[in-house]
Amino acid sequence: MEILDNRLKLFLYCMTLSFLILISGLYFCQIYQGDKYIRLAHNNRLRVMRFAAPRGEIFDRNGVPLAVNDTTFCIMGYPLDLNTPEKLERLSKILKRHGIPITVEDLEKTIKQQRLAPYRVMRIVPNLTMPQMAELVADYEFPRELFPLSVWRRTYPAGSLAANVLGYVSEISEEELKARAEDGYTGGDLIGKSGIERSYEEILRGHPGQEALEVDARGRKIRTLDSSNAIKGEDLRLTLDMSAQKLAVDLLKDYKGALIAMDVNTGEILVLASSPVYDNNTLTWGVSAREWNSIINNPDRPMLDRAIAGVYPPASTFKAFMSIASLEENIINISSSFVCRGGLRLGSHLFKCWRHSGHGSLNVVGGLQHSCDVFFYQVGLKAGIERLVKWARNFHLGEPTGIDLPGERAGILAGPDWKERRFKTQWLNGDTVNYSIGQGYVLMTPLQIARVYAAIANGGKLVTPHLNIKNFKRPEEIGINPEKLAIVQKGLEYVVSRGTGSRAGRFGVSIAGKTGTAQNSHGPDHALFAGYAPVESPKYVAVAVVEAGRHGSSVAAPMVGQILAHLLSH
Amino acid sequence: MLASLKEDLSLTDRVMMLCAFMLGLWGVFCIYSAAGGVTGRGFDYALRQAAWLFVSFAAMLITMMIGHRKLLEGAYYLFYLTLILLLLTALLAPKVKGAQSWLGFGGIRFQPSEFAKIAIILAMSKFFSRYPPLDIKTFFAGLGVIALPVLLVLLQPDAGSALVYLVISFGMLLTAGTPLKYLGSIIGLGLASLPVLIMFVLKDYQINRLLVFLDPMRDPLGSGYNVIQSRIAVGSGGFAGKGFMLGTQSKLKFLPEPHTDFIFSVFSEEFGFIGNLILIALFALLLFRIILTGLKCRDRRCKILTSGVASWLWFQMFESIGMSIGLTPVTGLPLPFLSYGGSSLLATFIALGLVASVYIEEVNTKRRF
Repeated sequence: MEILDNRLKLFLYCMTLSFLILISGLYFCQIYQGDKYIRLAHNNRLRVMRFAAPRGEIFDRNGVPLAVNDTTFCIMGYPLDLNTPEKLERLSKILKRHGIPITVEDLEKTIKQQRLAPYRVMRIVPNLTMPQMAELVADYEFPRELFPLSVWRRTYPAGSLAANVLGYVSEISEEELKARAEDGYTGGDLIGKSGIERSYEEILRGHPGQEALEVDARGRKIRTLDSSNAIKGEDLRLTLDMSAQKLAVDLLKDYKGALIAMDVNTGEILVLASSPVYDNNTLTWGVSAREWNSIINNPDRPMLDRAIAGVYPPASTFKAFMSIASLEENIINISSSFVCRGGLRLGSHLFKCWRHSGHGSLNVVGGLQHSCDVFFYQVGLKAGIERLVKWARNFHLGEPTGIDLPGERAGILAGPDWKERRFKTQWLNGDTVNYSIGQGYVLMTPLQIARVYAAIANGGKLVTPHLNIKNFKRPEEIGINPEKLAIVQKGLEYVVSRGTGSRAGRFGVSIAGKTGTAQNSHGPDHALFAGYAPVESPKYVAVAVVEAGRHGSSVAAPMVGQILAHLLSH
Repeated sequence: MLASLKEDLSLTDRVMMLCAFMLGLWGVFCIYSAAGGVTGRGFDYALRQAAWLFVSFAAMLITMMIGHRKLLEGAYYLFYLTLILLLLTALLAPKVKGAQSWLGFGGIRFQPSEFAKIAIILAMSKFFSRYPPLDIKTFFAGLGVIALPVLLVLLQPDAGSALVYLVISFGMLLTAGTPLKYLGSIIGLGLASLPVLIMFVLKDYQINRLLVFLDPMRDPLGSGYNVIQSRIAVGSGGFAGKGFMLGTQSKLKFLPEPHTDFIFSVFSEEFGFIGNLILIALFALLLFRIILTGLKCRDRRCKILTSGVASWLWFQMFESIGMSIGLTPVTGLPLPFLSYGGSSLLATFIALGLVASVYIEEVNTKRRF
């Protein structure tokens, strides 16, 4: 017991000693050196500046610049130096003298928005040109505690031609800042909001630089205590072909819709156009609330990338898929034929063929060539919905294709289970009939249609569409008998050479493809065309979807023809 | 029930309780001032801390009523439970600022590492009084038991708590009568292994903290920044301080983590040297009363127990105040009673409840049976 008490006493003495040490330390700090620290606190001299890293630049497949950085100047300053109305008034007066219309209220607003801490530098006036800045600095009244900083501004030379692909950058929002707290973003940083800018944010953003300065009471730099350089983000080369993309946007100019072209073997996207378009430059440089609302509330929805996020009934373009499924399941063979008398009666309902006088007796090649609905009604009924759905799964319909863009839609791969879940009703034979011509409960994005036709063209391989040229993924083998595939290819060839899609074939290249006319409950029918070229050894696939374009043969087919011809001749 | 609580209160060490309560209350005010500058929600934080103070005080009374004897009986079970909780925390808890220290149960989050201190104190008191670490064999057995929670908390990784466990254990080993040459060699071994720690065990940021401790200007942007700004805050407080709510260092956001790790700097800036003297006097009085309880009681276990509680509170106080003026390296340990945080406050008051219970049962002879 005694030893325990002795030890406790020892403990007591040690503790007393420690208190004395603390008190002396505090005395030294607060009384002996107090004046020094009071002065340091008064004009806290440590200031930290952050330089945004230049973002990686983006080019098309031929090196045409799509997203670049321009040098502009900002006037920077510290909150401490702009804390009275007089100082703001003076600054505003000088700015106005040099033709920069910025009022005291504007200044107050920017300062209030960015104020984080008095030693944290703020952007007082953004986006000045070199001559403007030079003039200002030369003005003897220009406050010396403010200083110019060169910054990068993102510009998109292609503008609205590829805005849906590239997306845009803009100041990071509070939610994004919270969600990405670990990634080293701070308020005022730019971040990719959509498109390639968003999907490749990590690669493009680079690493910001920092500088710790010791400054005097007026804010002038005395010396740099520490600094790290900004590291530019990685450049990106896209698979896009800007000359073809421009042609596509021109072709779509008067319509709403999408036009896509893709390499059938690799999945490289050469054209990804969506109409109407918007200008990503204005979004990047900051738009007023009114402009923003006019874009967001536009009934034509320019921000919707119809190529990857517009879902449409594939209509008759689906017949190529139907042919593959039924040939592979041995429902039909090359010589199986059905008779079309202009319609098919199922119970009390008559399902009509688009040609009311009928096509007579046809095999699968003729069915495709003339786009006979009755032929595919019967094929569909004979195959049954389960087998069709199985093949839809093989083609990964109802799933995103995995393109490296945000916001891709999956479409709908309908089927009995789906209808049961969605509508709580049974799948009927009539549903299968509609399904067989790509109507009713089946919806696809233009990109999904392109992927199916790429598989037909390349011998049955499902490619992964991509825009980053380095992002090639090995295609997935579906396993289609080459002889059966050749039958379908022949049918598609006849569509253009002597059938409904002849207008696609007038541009000097041999094309195989399929027209489609999708019923639209909101207005005139949508026009579709999917095709590939050259027929002998397919290289590119193209898909056009024109909303309210009425007939695939008249509007969509020539678009695909021109794009494919352009790609093959350049 | 109430009658017995009333009797307990009349028999316990009211000086100690008053000190603790005043420190806690002062903390609420400091948090109001400190959090106000950063988040603009000083009132929210202060209100929450006040609620925790109330809960903690109640927990102290409950601990007192249960009594240290019953808790010592179940000490080993508590110890096992703690080991399991620490393991769960290391495995399951989400990462907050790089460390996993929070466990959540239906909306309530708590830090098992804080409550582990109580379990360690209880279990060690029992163990060292049953097997006094007088010879090398029992000494090493004791070290082995201590190693378990230390290693588990290092998994989180929470080096600060591990350090506190080691200091608590050291204080209890000292009081339990371990021969000084054993303790001396442990310290010697610790110092000798420092290079090994630096080379292989410590994380980059921890090494950096140690280097910055030696020379804050070597990294003025990073970890040195805190030390410099904290020292400016304390120093500029001067003799009488800048006044409550008037500290510029914390209000203008020069100070990082002002309501948790660097609460003392905020306090010091606003209340000055005088305020510091009063604060340290309160801490000193509290700690002396705890050790006095240990000296007066006649139970080995209780003597060791009080030394554990005292070394815990003393170390965190010394470290937290020391780091704000650059006397000790930055560890991020909370200042008992003042730093914002419910788990830490609750655990502290439960420990005081144990000491109070010892005082009632073993020291105050007025107790009638």
